[in-house]
Amino acid sequence: MTRLRSLRGLTLVFIAAFMAATLGTGLISYNETSRTIARLVDSRLATTADAMAPVGTAYETGELLRRMKALDDDRDTGDLGIVLTDAAGHRLGGNVALLRRLPLGFSMLRRHDRIKGLSQGRAYVRGVGDGRLLTVIGETEPVDNYAAARIRIYVTGFGTIVFVVLIGMLLFARVVSARITAIRETAGAIIAGDMGHRVPVHGDRGVFDAQAATFNLMLDRIADLMRGMSNISSDIAHDLRTPLARLRIQLQTLARQAETSAMREGIARAVAQSDELLAMFAAVLRIAEVEAGDRRAGFGSLEIDTLAREVAAMMLPVAEDSGRTIVFTPSPVVTIRGDRQLLTQLLVNLIENGLRHTPAGSRISIAVSRLDDVARLTVSDDGQGIAPEQRAVALRRFGRLDASRRALTPDHKTVGHGLGLGLALVDAIVRLHDGSLHLEDAAPGLSVVVKLPTPSRQQPGPSIALAR
Amino acid sequence: MFVGLTVLLVEDDDVFAAALAEELRRFQHDVTVAEDGRAALAAIDHEQFDAVVLDWMMPRLDGVSMLKRLRDGERTLPVIMLSALGSAAEKVEGLEAGADDYVVKPVAAEELNARLNAVVRGRQWLNASPIASADTLRAGNIVVSPTRFRAWRGDVSIDLANLELKLLAEFVRNAGTVLTRTMLIERVWGYEFEPTTNLVDVYIRRLRQKLTAAGGEDPILTIRGVGYMLRE
Repeated sequence: MTRLRSLRGLTLVFIAAFMAATLGTGLISYNETSRTIARLVDSRLATTADAMAPVGTAYETGELLRRMKALDDDRDTGDLGIVLTDAAGHRLGGNVALLRRLPLGFSMLRRHDRIKGLSQGRAYVRGVGDGRLLTVIGETEPVDNYAAARIRIYVTGFGTIVFVVLIGMLLFARVVSARITAIRETAGAIIAGDMGHRVPVHGDRGVFDAQAATFNLMLDRIADLMRGMSNISSDIAHDLRTPLARLRIQLQTLARQAETSAMREGIARAVAQSDELLAMFAAVLRIAEVEAGDRRAGFGSLEIDTLAREVAAMMLPVAEDSGRTIVFTPSPVVTIRGDRQLLTQLLVNLIENGLRHTPAGSRISIAVSRLDDVARLTVSDDGQGIAPEQRAVALRRFGRLDASRRALTPDHKTVGHGLGLGLALVDAIVRLHDGSLHLEDAAPGLSVVVKLPTPSRQQPGPSIALAR
Repeated sequence: MFVGLTVLLVEDDDVFAAALAEELRRFQHDVTVAEDGRAALAAIDHEQFDAVVLDWMMPRLDGVSMLKRLRDGERTLPVIMLSALGSAAEKVEGLEAGADDYVVKPVAAEELNARLNAVVRGRQWLNASPIASADTLRAGNIVVSPTRFRAWRGDVSIDLANLELKLLAEFVRNAGTVLTRTMLIERVWGYEFEPTTNLVDVYIRRLRQKLTAAGGEDPILTIRGVGYMLRE
């Protein structure tokens, strides 16, 4: 059934059914004509036999032979063979010789019956008294020659019809496929971030145009919703940041006017808390920005192995200063399509995560590889890792882990990340790239695995993105 | 360091505007507040300002529209957008409208002051040498050649990694002006996000070590709670 749903399957099934019907019609028509001709020949044979020896009469052999000859002269029966035999099967007279005894009634004659000048024919055998048998033979050869012509007519006639229908089907399939492709390409462009793309409408008022128009209306609606969402994001940003900014600056002014150092410290803590709130808020907005998908429009080709090596080298001094190290495993070039800023942030986030959650002396390992058409980026550490049941929590927005995995190094700011937004942002970036994020056991330690499609796999991409 | 700039603060939230103006006055700036884009355009017509701090979402005339009108009118005075809108696309929109810098609210007064000084200084530097030689930058006895990836202190060549060289070039270009960590992340690293580790401090520490390896005093000043500055 699934094959029938595809345009190609439907076309093939239709062509097969059409061919079978055409062939069947041809065969039935051929057989029917052949049978009709055989019937006509048979009736002529019977009429001839009756004319010579009418039913109910019992002529002498001599009389029969005379009538045979008279009939021969009288009528145009030159193409008929007539034989009279006695009860023992001996030939009494006639214009042909028979090799075998033919059954009573009608029967077929073939080439092996060796009747002179006959390759196919009909025979009619009737008793004419005293065990004598009258046999009338008619050929069907002229008719068979006609059959060859008939086959030729069928082949050219039906062949032309089949050919025209095939061409028509192909053109039809192509037209349908072109319109469907236009819709698919539009959907792909929308998914890739080009919200302005629409399905072309040809103005022929057909079903395809109607469908294209409906599809475009749906896209307008989605664009409206997206705009609405981004407006909500902007509104939230404005409505929340403005009072927080006011709060923060008032606290700062207050801090300067404070009379005791205890008050100043208290106010400084309040400022720090508002900063943490703002940073968390900024992280949420950043995730929303990534999830909006607009940034796909800016995707470019980039070598993820080079980027990983650069970020690893850039972060190395930070790691060394805190007594840790970063090891980058060289790899062959792996090219993907993506947003350089976001992938850089992803790498920095993962490395910072590794540095933050491991004790001094730990090692962060970074590797890039490619398996088939999937780029695989791994950032692992040799710290305590995350228990399997905690891994889902780690990916969740605001998900908090047990104390063991929380900041081990109080010298680093934990803004945004202490609240579990770091991995949620990484996850959003990975999903923007049609990839997947996995937390694995590095035994010991945590291994964060990012799988990203390479361009060859991204070609039919939109469907992958839609599948989510 | 620059002191006493005349600053036009365009902000519709009067509580925030008053507090921010007060903070900026602590840095000896002369601050005028305009409550929306129209009032700001009127003020700019009547008075000379060194710089504008501009909010985006305001009634009547919003910040970006006002900025476009300003630039269409060939007004080149430096403008810093100070907005609650902080997505990368919004920043690009603000900068493309003609802003010299874009800061997301809230901002510490010290950070805003540093950025004000930087944009004004950048403008003066441009005016002073319209065809500035991009090949070598000089501040005191420090010379940086970004195109040749080389740096010297006095006669001594300093071996710097790529990022360290970019960092030093940024300091030399802005010698005498405070650069905050956020500014350095934006300009030297080119990131649109802020790493949560002490990345800038680590790189400054390395740069200092290399600059003072052959003796001499530390040319980079730490401005507590604000950032760093290269002595002029």
